Order: sequence, then structure tokens, then C-alpha cells
Amino acid sequence: MFWPVLAWTVAIVFFFPIFWMVLTSFKTDADAVKPEHLIVFTPTLENYLNMIENYDFWRFAKNSVITSLFATTFTLFVGVPAAYAMAFNPSRHTKDILIWMLSTKMLPAAAVLYPMTFLTKNILGLFDTHFLIIIVLSLINLPIVIWMLFTYFKEIPKEIIEAGKMDGVSIWGEIKDIVLPLAWGGLASTALLCFIFCWNEAYWTVRLTTIDAATLSKLIEGNRAPEGLFFGRLSAVSTAAVGPIVVLGWFCQKQLVQGLTFGAVK
Amino acid sequence: MSQRTLPRLMQTPAVLLLLVWMLVPLGMTIFFSFIRYVLNNLRKPEWTTPSIDNWRGFGNYEYVLYKSKDFWFAVQNSVFIVGSIIVLTVALGLAIAVLINRSFPGRGMVRVLLISPFFVMPAVNAVLWINMLLDPVLGLNGLIVNGLNGVIDGLRDFPLLGNFFSFWPELQPISFRATQTSAYAVIVMVTWQWTPFAILIFMTSLQSEDQQQKEAAILDGASAWSQFVNLTIPHLARPIAIVIMIQAIFHLSLYAEIEIVSRGNGNKNLPYLIGEFASNNIGAASATGIFAVILANIVAIFLLRIIGKSLMD
Repeated sequence: MFWPVLAWTVAIVFFFPIFWMVLTSFKTDADAVKPEHLIVFTPTLENYLNMIENYDFWRFAKNSVITSLFATTFTLFVGVPAAYAMAFNPSRHTKDILIWMLSTKMLPAAAVLYPMTFLTKNILGLFDTHFLIIIVLSLINLPIVIWMLFTYFKEIPKEIIEAGKMDGVSIWGEIKDIVLPLAWGGLASTALLCFIFCWNEAYWTVRLTTIDAATLSKLIEGNRAPEGLFFGRLSAVSTAAVGPIVVLGWFCQKQLVQGLTFGAVK
Repeated sequence: MSQRTLPRLMQTPAVLLLLVWMLVPLGMTIFFSFIRYVLNNLRKPEWTTPSIDNWRGFGNYEYVLYKSKDFWFAVQNSVFIVGSIIVLTVALGLAIAVLINRSFPGRGMVRVLLISPFFVMPAVNAVLWINMLLDPVLGLNGLIVNGLNGVIDGLRDFPLLGNFFSFWPELQPISFRATQTSAYAVIVMVTWQWTPFAILIFMTSLQSEDQQQKEAAILDGASAWSQFVNLTIPHLARPIAIVIMIQAIFHLSLYAEIEIVSRGNGNKNLPYLIGEFASNNIGAASATGIFAVILANIVAIFLLRIIGKSLMD
């Protein structure tokens, strides 16, 4: 009896900050800092209405959805063929290419902060555009996506592909009729995970945007100072920004392990 | 088209994109790190545009290493933050993964609750912790300490015991925005966010542990602790190594949390220092960037070696 109770206690402690944020989002700003209203209070939707009215919440949310969605699509578009080729037609260099791709992920973003600003502002003129954010998010996630897909594709028995080749199926037919149906689950969870990473990205989305392409990360980071005392509003914006993603995340726990450890832990 | 050409063509876009993404900005950083390049300089306007004429050799590196007093502090602080987070997440992650690696009512729900913090976006994580939980006046931290003081005050009125409590000093909540404590705030919030990651990976790995070996150990009368040390820990060696290195790479580039907690006050790390330099002295920012790349690479080499080994089996 002792261990389950302890496990539940630990789980509740870990979840508490999120619960607290959601709870506070239904308190008025005044109630949120009063000890007597810590738990007992009159719930209100005021903060959510205020957030939509005064914070331009939808614009940031829309930018987050657009950039994450398109970046995920583009990443898969580039990543699926690459991972496919590497899993089914590996060459001597495949291993090195995969490792090299991963190494691009390990460059600290801050090291190229100024060149990125300089390039996008002065040379390409792409600063603060959806296009730029989509490309940057794609490039950040491309290595992880290729790795995840590679590990999924590798688990597909080669014999099936060989049989297809014997029957004279084209490479496109192979992908469409054999590989994709078999790797569907892996593909879906890769996409989901990529979407979550895009959504939560907080370095480039904050530093390469001002208004037009600013995402929810920017809204939170940009507005926190004057709003520090308004816990109710702060909680409402935060809840709206992370709620959907936390729920999505519950569905891809297993893939997360593969994706984040690059197949090294199964 | 030959059998080989098509697979190559299929990889080309990905390879080219990543090549450009890696080489162009990094090449620029390397170039900027060797020239004098400042954004605002009335005395020397020629330094405000990047040009090979403003060659400075290793001058920026020397400036960063010897003249800027923040650099060594930032390196130490980066290592301190990353090290603390790793020790805490691995210890907590191991304990919790072993704790929930058994069947009990509601195990699925416990897993869902435990993994949730990992999906919270970093900006929200920082804002949530520093304001609503850790704030010494309005946050739970302040409210709880105040409540405790109230309880102690009440106890003073009791006979006998009251004498004891009248000597009890009033509790002071810790302010996590102060110079000395802001690093701890960052450590707390990132540990909260990344312990789920460690739990998840250790748990996955525990499920593939050899049960027969364990049963044999039990038959031989091995204690739970000795099973843990002699069987579980060796089994988890690789996952632990991977958790350590992935976190090292991620946390060496922490930014949002540092910015939100104290705007780097008393708590700069390398990325934050680069950000500060980049508001004017691009040469110094770039040289610091190269140091950050070197630091990250030291970790990355080990990580890539482990991953490379497991790649083809």
C-alpha cells in the first residue's frame, strides 16, 4: 500500500504547478494573491475574455499554429525521402551523414544569433516573416525527424520491399503502397512531436520576430514584466498557450523516448 | 536512372539545407570573431560595418578571455547550472522510475501526470515558477511562509510551549530574483521540467530489464538495494549516459529562463553573455559564440559516439 501512495503523491507534486496555473486562471487578479482565496474562490472567465480582448491572443495563437503546422509539413516533406533512402538504400556514408546531421542540432543557437539577425534583416529581408520562422523551425527539427523516421523505417522487414521490387513496383509505389502504410503510426507520432517542438521553441521565435510573425512564446516572454502582478491574467494566457500541447504530448510519450534519444534507448 | 542515383537524390535536399544552415551562420560568426565590429561607435565609424579591413586577429578572443570580467563567471555559472540540473534530474528520475515500475491502481494516470511538465513551453515554465510559485510576497512561497509565521504567532499564546515559540525567529521567504539566488530558481524550474524526461527514458529502459536475472537474485537472497546497485544501475548505464549528455547540450543553451528570472542579474550563462555582447560588440559576441561551440562540442562528441555505436545494431 505504501508504494502506490508514494507514487501518487510524487505525481501530484509534479503536476501541481500546472494545476495551480489552471486554477489561478479562473480567479480574478485580486483573488489570486489573497491567502484566504487560495482554494476557495468564485470562478470567473474574466481573464480569458480579457486575454482575447486586450492581448491580441488570437494573432499570436494563429502565428503559432501556422508556423508549427507548415514547419512540420515541410520537415516531413524533406525528411521522409531522406530517411527512406538512408534506411533502405544505405551507402558507406549513411552512418556518417546521420551523425553529422545530428551534430548540427548541437550547435548552440546563441553562437549564431547575430549572423542570423544580420542575414535575415540586412541581406534577405525576411526578418519577422512567417516564411523565415517556418524555415528555421524546420531546420531545427529536421535532424530529429530524420532520425526518428530512420529508426521506424529500419524496423520494416527488407524482404517486403524486395518482394515489391520483384513485382516491378516503382520507388514511388514502394513508398506509397508499402512503406507509408507500415510506418503510419511512426509517421504520425513523428509529426506530432515535431509540432510540439515547433510550438515550444523559444529562442529563434522570440529573437527573429517583432510583431507580424510573433508566436505565443513571444507573447509570454514579452508581456511578463508589467503583468507580473496580475496572476489571473498571466495564468489564463499561459494555460491557453500550453494546454493543447500538454494534451497532445500525452499521446506521444513512447515516441518521445525514441525521438529524443535518437533510437539509442528502446 | 541507376539504382544508386535516386536514393542519393532523395537525401540531397535534406543534406543541402542542413549544410547551408550550419555553414553560413557559423562561417559568419567565425569571420566576425576575427574583425573589429561594433554597432555603435561614433569615434570609429568604419568599425560599424563588417569588413576584412578591420582585421583584429585573436584580439576579440583575448578581450573576452582577459578583459571582460563576465566571461569566466558565465562559464562557471553555465557549468554550475547544467551540473546541478543533471545531478538532480538523474537522481530524481531514477528514484521515480523505479518507484512506478510496478503495477498499481492508476499507473497510467500517474504516468500522464508525471510527464506533463515536459511539454510546458519554457517561457511559461519560467513565468509560472518565478511569479506564482517562488515570488517571496505574492507567490505560494511568500504565502506559505506568511502562513507559517501566523501559526507560530498563534502558538506563542500557549502556556509553556509559548515560551519556546517566543524565541522562534520570524521566517523570511527567500527571494529567488536576488543576485545570489537567481541561479537556484533556474535550476528548480528546469529540474521540474526535465525530470519527467529522465523518468520516461529510465522507465522505458527498465521494462527491458532481465526479469529472470532479478528472480535469481531474489532467490539468492539479494536485498532490494543490492539488486538496484548490481543489476538495475548497470542495465541503465547507457540511458543514464544519454540523459546526461542530451541535457548537457540542451541546458548549455538555456536562455528564456535566465532572461525571465532576473534578466541575467547574477546569473549569466554563455548564451546570455553572447546576447549582451550582441547588442553592440559583435566581435566579442562572435568570439564568445565560438567558445560556446567548443564547450558544446566537447559534450557532443561523447554523445555522438554512443549513439553511433547503437545506430547499426
